[in-house]
Amino acid sequence: MKCEQISELLPDYLQGSLSPDQHRSVEAHLQQCTDCSEEVAVWRKLSRLPVEQPSPMSRVRFEAMLQAYLAGRSNQPASGLSWKKRPSSWNFFHWLRSPLGAAAWSAALLAIGVFAGLHLAGPKPTPPDIAEIQKQLESTKQLVVLSMLQQQSAGARLEGVSWSTREQQLNPQVLSALLHTLRYDPSVDVRLAALDALSRHSTQPQVRSSVVNALQEQQSPLVQVALIDQLVEWHDREAKPHLEKLRQSQDLNPAVRQHADWAISKLN
Amino acid sequence: MTLAPDEDLMLQVRDGAGEMLGVLFDRYQTPLFNFYSKLTGDRTLSEDLVQEVFLRILKYRQSYRPGTPFRAWVYQIARNARIDHFRKFPRERAFEPEMLPPVLPTDSAQEHQEVELLHRALLQLPEDKREILLLCRFQELKYEEIAELLGCELNTVRTRIHRALQELRKSFHQLTQGTLKQASAAAAENLPPRGGRQ
Repeated sequence: MKCEQISELLPDYLQGSLSPDQHRSVEAHLQQCTDCSEEVAVWRKLSRLPVEQPSPMSRVRFEAMLQAYLAGRSNQPASGLSWKKRPSSWNFFHWLRSPLGAAAWSAALLAIGVFAGLHLAGPKPTPPDIAEIQKQLESTKQLVVLSMLQQQSAGARLEGVSWSTREQQLNPQVLSALLHTLRYDPSVDVRLAALDALSRHSTQPQVRSSVVNALQEQQSPLVQVALIDQLVEWHDREAKPHLEKLRQSQDLNPAVRQHADWAISKLN
Repeated sequence: MTLAPDEDLMLQVRDGAGEMLGVLFDRYQTPLFNFYSKLTGDRTLSEDLVQEVFLRILKYRQSYRPGTPFRAWVYQIARNARIDHFRKFPRERAFEPEMLPPVLPTDSAQEHQEVELLHRALLQLPEDKREILLLCRFQELKYEEIAELLGCELNTVRTRIHRALQELRKSFHQLTQGTLKQASAAAAENLPPRGGRQ
């Protein structure tokens, strides 16, 4: 056998999943071919690379995060979405079939229709301005987000937040709706999702200041931990005094306090 | 209870028993940490990414479906966490093996030196090649699982593993040769001058 033929079999040989015949032909080739046998030797040597151990702090941080999460769940308001009912992931087609999705879809079609109509009915048919139509569609989508963020059902608000993450640029209205959601939404899940969505727009100054302010306002340990993580991720040194203030506040969940300490040391 | 399969534990986490995540953390923090540390050469970042993986497991627990192998699912999350991290914080410069202290032949026993050179050779591979070797050799993912993870055909996985291994062999070979030369040069320096014994 030649190297090219062996190369097709080698990966399975390494996993020990060849038939006995194939296995024997590979072994025979390895006896004669230095390059191929060195490859096998390197593969075997890889298992001797040392297993590195994470520092003990890693477990402590995990515990803090988990405690905050468990505390956050027990504090979750009754009006909040039961997390079992929460849609597992954003499913566009599923959403399109929902009444809200249908309404949004109709609105989008209407926008296309109106534009097509305006352009086709004009005395001089001009090619439709694609950029203009896109702009209209964008604003329709933003309207959908705005209307979803105001729904009664936490599931719909959650979908509204997910929908907003599909946009590269947020218009100021959607941005302020998301900031409002982060501060006041009754559901922890929706507030967390809003934070996630806002984290993509960290270049907007009001996003960072809102996250810092939310630190003092939020009572849910889960949201507090997520906010702290976000500030560390941004390496936002200006957040340090706010974190100090948070850790001194009474009734603070001990896990959150520990997490704030960790964040302060990270930002130093 | 601690011997329960990962999948059962994850279903319990999904259905409200968040504390069961601790068992999964104990099982996976070291493999995940090694996946990241061998991939990035950065311990601090690797610990941060492991935390991020477990936070994401909580966030996305509802998307876990019964019957999904947990290992494959968690490595999907782990890959995404790393990709998102480097999207947000593009690396100013890639990891250079030169940043590591030199391996001197006299450093330690030959076995240790060889392992060290192999580690270095691994770090010299392009990231995608390093990743695929780590996934199959250290994380013990099956080729089918890797194919799903990387979104490619099973045969593509086989080809990529073979190419990665070829490159690793070459790189390891060069490093070993380089060290041997250094060793003989060092030995030559230490030799007494000719005729010195007379």
